[in-house]
Amino acid sequence: MEIQLRLYGASKILSDKDAIKIELPNNSNIEKLRDILSKIISEKYSKSNLENLPKTAAFFSEKNEVVNDNYKLKDKEFISIIPPIGGG
Amino acid sequence: MALHTALVKTEEGKISSDKAKKFIASEKNGAESIFVGKVRNENDGKKVTGVTYDAHDQAVIKSFESICNKAKDKFDKNAKIFLEHAKGYVPVGGISILIAVGSGHRDEAFKICRYILEEVKHQSPIWKKEHYTDGKEEWLPGHSLRPKKEVK
Repeated sequence: MEIQLRLYGASKILSDKDAIKIELPNNSNIEKLRDILSKIISEKYSKSNLENLPKTAAFFSEKNEVVNDNYKLKDKEFISIIPPIGGG
Repeated sequence: MALHTALVKTEEGKISSDKAKKFIASEKNGAESIFVGKVRNENDGKKVTGVTYDAHDQAVIKSFESICNKAKDKFDKNAKIFLEHAKGYVPVGGISILIAVGSGHRDEAFKICRYILEEVKHQSPIWKKEHYTDGKEEWLPGHSLRPKKEVK
């Protein structure tokens, strides 16, 4: 299965596009997505100060609500990664 | 209408304190409190030229409305509130956030203004990337929205 990960804040270092495709095993949840992201960052973006991102980020569903680690991802679903915030 | 919230895309317009003052104006106001947040030229010893603000638009507007309505419930149901935040590049001296509150009394006006600012910093999905005079840039750390019970 695959999902589209919408990028915000520091996660935009991962791509110039607004969203990236992430391949995941079937029936994956947010916890699995964190694992896959950790691998991607350690393999390709080790010098970008993103190593803590998979642990510190929240994720929004398409309803723009935070989903927990047990949330089951659906094929082709859009998920937003929400790095630690700091407006104002 | 007693509440106005918006994300202002910097390539399309600017945050205006005149617009805010007009919005909150009322003969019922005994106090008007206005907070203007600006981009400063230094942070953590680095010389800053500007800040790019990113935002999750829909979630930001939802959070702004929720925060302002809670502020009214908590301090003054009749308060008039104007809240705008920039999205995009803001140079040094530019306005990043403007909160204006019209209320019957000064205490409520001050408290609502402060409450909204602190809650925006902790609830609204907005991010800052600072640009420096040496050409470097950096996304700033912030407050995690990940449920606390999940953080090991």
